[in-house]
Amino acid sequence: MRQGVIEESAGGMWLWLLQRVTAVVLILGLSAHIVVTHVLNLGELSYDNVAGRLAMPFFVVVDFALLGAGIFHALNGLRMVLLDYGFSGRSQTMLSWGLFAFGVAAFGYGTWALWPWLTA
Amino acid sequence: MSQKDRETANVGAGLWKGAGMWAWLFHRVSGVVLALYLFAHIWVISRGAATGAEGFNTMFETLESPLFIVLDLFLLAAVVYHGLNGIRVLLFDLGVAIRRQKTLFWAVIAASVVIMAVFAYISLSFIASHGA
Repeated sequence: MRQGVIEESAGGMWLWLLQRVTAVVLILGLSAHIVVTHVLNLGELSYDNVAGRLAMPFFVVVDFALLGAGIFHALNGLRMVLLDYGFSGRSQTMLSWGLFAFGVAAFGYGTWALWPWLTA
Repeated sequence: MSQKDRETANVGAGLWKGAGMWAWLFHRVSGVVLALYLFAHIWVISRGAATGAEGFNTMFETLESPLFIVLDLFLLAAVVYHGLNGIRVLLFDLGVAIRRQKTLFWAVIAASVVIMAVFAYISLSFIASHGA
């Protein structure tokens, strides 16, 4: 590990580590998502086509991994951008909790959208 | 954070000059675009799913039109660059290849161009075979 990597990251070790872990999940998961959904099923996308994939546990795991890792990586990334433009102290805490609440809501909303297929 | 601290942080994030600066700037811009797209994507798929099978399929007819396929290519370019440069950043965090950061930046650009050429070919073939 390069010296100072963690010290330089706003938000400490755990957010830094999670950003890297979700990055790896996204590289693998998004590659699979793009190739399977948009190349192998090119022109075939439909409600039933999605249902066929979500009948397989593997794709359920991939979808939830993408949903969770994507939301975390996106919001923590936006947070790091915003921290470069003057959020600190109390406003930084409020920003972090606001983004956290938004992320939880987005995960719930995304789960709700997948529900009809998962319970079919 | 003071102005000086911020400059130091930026140097740490992307070596604030030349190729390293562009790598950092493209990563940041593509990151913001992808973050906003993700929530639009969750919203659109959720709304589509809420309308049931018929509404969902009608939505996909729109999303498979040439305009949206071309927009998807721009989106994919952001994904591919952000992902490949992300691997470059991961290597630096592990202490690997920092002195070759410029070479790696050009490798990221070259790999992005190759991947995008493949997807552009797939996309344009699809548009051509399905008519405008």
